[in-house]
Amino acid sequence: MTQIYETLVLLDNDVVRADWKKAKAIVTDTITKYDGTLHSCRRWDEKRLAYPINRKNRATYYIAYFEMPGDKMPGFRRDFELNERVLRYLVVCADEVSEEEKKLAAEEDGTEYTVPEPPEDDALEITEEEAAEDLSDDIDVEVPAEAGALDSGR
Amino acid sequence: MKRRIRTVIGSKNCDDPVIDYKNIEYLLKFLTPQGQILSRRRTGFCNQCQKQLKTAIKRARHVGLLPFVG
Repeated sequence: MTQIYETLVLLDNDVVRADWKKAKAIVTDTITKYDGTLHSCRRWDEKRLAYPINRKNRATYYIAYFEMPGDKMPGFRRDFELNERVLRYLVVCADEVSEEEKKLAAEEDGTEYTVPEPPEDDALEITEEEAAEDLSDDIDVEVPAEAGALDSGR
Repeated sequence: MKRRIRTVIGSKNCDDPVIDYKNIEYLLKFLTPQGQILSRRRTGFCNQCQKQLKTAIKRARHVGLLPFVG
């Protein structure tokens, strides 16, 4: 038995900047791979995340409504979990696809989209965080010569 | 003894907009500055609406729309 689902996928902005069509295909291809019928899909927003996910502070939200048999859902979820270009996803049951949603999806189909560059303060924050994490990873513990000598003496 | 005054944010008639995890501006009304979900006593929602609110906030947190803390 099929059910209408709504999925919100967080796409990596680097992938979206490189090729928007390829980024869209990540979601649409996964749906069709598992015998899903796509009702509507569109870019929802590009925004700052409330907390960093996979060291990313911003992501592109892509929303899709589709119909799929329930037994295909575990495989569908697994594909998203294994895909490194998908930061996070959410699948929820939907009663129906609203007319407004279909209209917005149809409007977006004919337009080209490029992700805006992240603001300067955002980019700075990423580098600082990464720098701090890198520093914490690379701490070398130097064993004092005296301690080494003591150990060897025992 | 001082009487504690509590303000009710939500509506008991549930005439407010549909509780959806994508409606972040609306959901933010029902979070404390620390990011905790307000109790039913504070929101003024019925049991069913409070459950919908809880689910919506948790979904929004999962996809990075709302913070878990702060």
